[in-house]
Amino acid sequence: MLKNWISIFIFQVKNNKLFTALNVLGLSIGIAGLIFAILYWNDEHSYDQWNPNKENVFLVANQMDPTTYWASSSAPIGSAIKNTSPEVESYCYVNGNYDNEIIHYNDKKVQSGKIVVAQKNFFDYFPYQFIEGNAKTGLPDGNSICLSEDLAIQLFGNESAFGKKIVLQNQTLVVRGVYKLDKKSVFNPSCVVNFMDLRVKNTIQQWGNFQFILLLKLKNPTDAGLVEKSLSKIYYDNMTAPRAKFQGMTPEEFIKKFGEVKPHLESLSSIRLHTKTGGLIEGNGNYQLLLIFMGLSILILILSIVNYVNSATANAVKRAKEIGVRKVIGASKTNIILQFIFETAIILLLSILISLVIVELSIPYYNAFLEKDLVLQSGQLYLQLVVIFIGTVITAGIFPAIYVSNFEVLKVLRGNFIRSKNGVWLRNGMLIFQFAVAAFFIIGSYIVYQQIDYMNSKDLGFNGNQVLNISYRNIYGEKIDGKIQFDKYNNIKNQLLRIKGVKQVAGGGFVMGSGAKSVISYHYKDINIDGNNVPVDFGLLEMMKIKLVKGRYFNPQYSQDTINSMLINETALKLLNEKDPIGKKINWDGKEVIIVGVVKDFNIGNPGEAIPPMSIFHFKSIPWFSGLLNNIYVTADPKTMQQTIAAIENVWLKKVDSDYPFLYDFVDKEYKRSYNSYVQQKNLFSLLNLIVILIALIGLFALASYSIERRMKEIAIRKTLGAETNILLKELCKQYVVFSIIGFLIASFPAYYLLNKWLENFAYRVSISISPFLIGFTALLLLTLAVVLSRAYQATKVDVLRYLKYE
Amino acid sequence: MITIKKLSKVFRTEELETKALSEISLTINQGDFVSIMGPSGSGKSTLLNIVGLLDSASDGSYQLLDQEMVGLKEKLKAKARKENIGFIFQNFNLIDELSVYDNIELPLIYNNVSASERKSRVNEIARILNISHRLKHFPQQLSGGQQQRVAVARALINNPKIILADEPTGNLDSKNGNEVMELLTDLHASGSTILMVTHSDYDASFSQKTILMKDGVILSEKQNHRNVDVLVTSKN
Repeated sequence: MLKNWISIFIFQVKNNKLFTALNVLGLSIGIAGLIFAILYWNDEHSYDQWNPNKENVFLVANQMDPTTYWASSSAPIGSAIKNTSPEVESYCYVNGNYDNEIIHYNDKKVQSGKIVVAQKNFFDYFPYQFIEGNAKTGLPDGNSICLSEDLAIQLFGNESAFGKKIVLQNQTLVVRGVYKLDKKSVFNPSCVVNFMDLRVKNTIQQWGNFQFILLLKLKNPTDAGLVEKSLSKIYYDNMTAPRAKFQGMTPEEFIKKFGEVKPHLESLSSIRLHTKTGGLIEGNGNYQLLLIFMGLSILILILSIVNYVNSATANAVKRAKEIGVRKVIGASKTNIILQFIFETAIILLLSILISLVIVELSIPYYNAFLEKDLVLQSGQLYLQLVVIFIGTVITAGIFPAIYVSNFEVLKVLRGNFIRSKNGVWLRNGMLIFQFAVAAFFIIGSYIVYQQIDYMNSKDLGFNGNQVLNISYRNIYGEKIDGKIQFDKYNNIKNQLLRIKGVKQVAGGGFVMGSGAKSVISYHYKDINIDGNNVPVDFGLLEMMKIKLVKGRYFNPQYSQDTINSMLINETALKLLNEKDPIGKKINWDGKEVIIVGVVKDFNIGNPGEAIPPMSIFHFKSIPWFSGLLNNIYVTADPKTMQQTIAAIENVWLKKVDSDYPFLYDFVDKEYKRSYNSYVQQKNLFSLLNLIVILIALIGLFALASYSIERRMKEIAIRKTLGAETNILLKELCKQYVVFSIIGFLIASFPAYYLLNKWLENFAYRVSISISPFLIGFTALLLLTLAVVLSRAYQATKVDVLRYLKYE
Repeated sequence: MITIKKLSKVFRTEELETKALSEISLTINQGDFVSIMGPSGSGKSTLLNIVGLLDSASDGSYQLLDQEMVGLKEKLKAKARKENIGFIFQNFNLIDELSVYDNIELPLIYNNVSASERKSRVNEIARILNISHRLKHFPQQLSGGQQQRVAVARALINNPKIILADEPTGNLDSKNGNEVMELLTDLHASGSTILMVTHSDYDASFSQKTILMKDGVILSEKQNHRNVDVLVTSKN
């Protein structure tokens, strides 16, 4: 029987080469898309899943206002909750970002970009496998360091690392352990040092200074609610109550006016994809992108399955006679169903093989797009492929099989079956579905394109054209004080200004596109403002061409500008609700400052984000701001830019920092990278759009071909009775035009709703106008007409006699 | 009305060349009722199709109403066809998706006849052919004889100059077949020109003249006596 099935199958394939090829192609593209999505899905869901503590280690996420969650906590919270809440087994502070430093071993220098600063029980929370030393004794004190295997090999080659002495940030550290970094986590440290104890100790009084990540290990994960309650009480006792007292109000009044910090616990297993905070060191997984991608790729697979079902049922009518004969000579319904499912299975097997080839060939581009290194190799994936195979065989195979098995023998053998209307409603329904999906994608990608275009052309409020940003790291160690650091900067500034071609030099404590580095809330009258701190040197705002609305820029001629002058932006002004802000005094972090000017709003974060209220100070006004002075901005004569950059590099490496590579970029280019991910989403959407339209057109082409073939006799009769070509064409296209209109209407509402949802990501967004819909409709109609007309025109040219006589 | 001179039709495949018609000459005058007989493959259907402008000749001359049809453009052929020719097929060739009324109306639509006139003409012809009560039905719901009457109605609705019938009784039982033949005889009696292909001697006996074909040539032409009877009865 199998042999018989196979030979019939091969015959059918040979006779329908084009449609078989289109089907296989459509299915392979659909499955390839799903494999890509699954690879991404698996990767994102593998974070921290290996960790035995994933359910009982929690991140303290602090809700600052209804929509803002911080991943950081202040230093005293950890010991306080450990002491008051018996449910807490231990706590561990970790720094909120990787350090990038050079590690010295004898004369060897290795730069390491992923240094994690943590407390000694870090490896109790993240139990990596130790090759040398062990997790318990890895970080007993501030002079210890544990290395990842890769870093150990870089530093010591094949020698044992244990007990060796290395120098980091002018401190000598002893290697106490080497671990294997082979599992994904929210932390992926190249090495871990215990500098955190000291940092916690130094700020143990500062309840309001939220700067470290706090992890809690609970004895029992179900107690998370209790611990949240205890934390709330601690916050109330130590933050809300004293502040209210300071303001001279009751705590209730204070909360009503300024709100309070609400603690939440997020389990380690959920952080990567579901955290409400901005994420830990490795950043969040983009759950929205993941869902969009997964959803769209399933949609594409459904589309190609629909194609297959349509084409199979339409083709089955042609095979009616075969089925009839099989039934007459004794085939049961089950037997026929099995035969057709068998055919589907072969087609799918072929499609999966081709899709694997597609994935293997295009995975480098995909990795570049997601900035990951996924490989097409895991037991999990192959298991999922088997599930996809079975699932697709059932959904794609069962319907045509049952449809065919239900053919009535007598009707079929009498030969009048080919024009039967059986199953037409279903095919038309699926066609409408395809039209709807295609319309959705055309509309959607046009709106996405509009939004990205809008962001590209938006007035940013500053001009970074030809402004150099030189990365200036703290090369003086942890313990340097702010004043000395600023003096060192001044020294560098003077050296740079002497270089030929350099026009202006000014330091800044921010990078355009990355947002401000710190936020300090202040009160004015009864208004609470979360001011983003923007530390600047004289002249920086002018260099960036940030415009002034009121008052004046900072100026070295006014001595108070390095003591207590403050500039704000328009957003802050709006919040202050003050008509004449110049000269007004503000209590800022316990210090009285005076507003001397208001600047026009400019984008400091990516252009999709809302512009926050800003507090702009000169570095000298707030001593600790000098620690943020990590960027030196330079303007130079554009004609000799290359020579000037070379000269700056030369000076830099000789006099400033000979260890680290000289890093610089133009501000405008750097800024563009900040919304790269949205540009990539646009590209992804365009690519998927192309695939969807392609698959839908293949489907339409096949279906139009079958349905026109079915109507060939009718066409022949009409022609005999005198119908002209254009009348026939109208007749043939009519239904497809109607279907495409219905499909378009069905797609419009979800397209509007979902794209609006996507646009909510952006503070500055286009509103959805009628034009994407008009364009989508026109494109859909034109594509439909192009496909159908080409088939219909062929049909009207066909030899009438063939269909009149030999039917 | 129809003048055919040395008309040939050659089918070519990769291997061989078949002459379906070789140098046939034939004249049909207005009011004639001519039947063509012959075994399968004798070329009779090919001849009918060429006369009906569904097929084109390879060589020779075919004049319809003094206009040369061989080598005419498709568009002009279509025009000549819809204005002058009505078809009746063995398998009726009705459009299953359209009702009887719509089927009969179709040629009028293609000839740009106004809606009100279409309606009266369809009703009139349906009355004559005794299918008025079936106008709302679909072809599949009718008996073979009724379907063929619908096909005849469709062929006549446009008052064609010549009616071409390709084995009109082939799919019918003898009673229904007889009815259809009597219908054709009546049409002839009222002045229609009819060219009919048939296998049946009985059917051929209804016509004035029978042409016998074999292997693409006309073997013989004979006058039928029964015609006289018909003419006599029609005069009565």
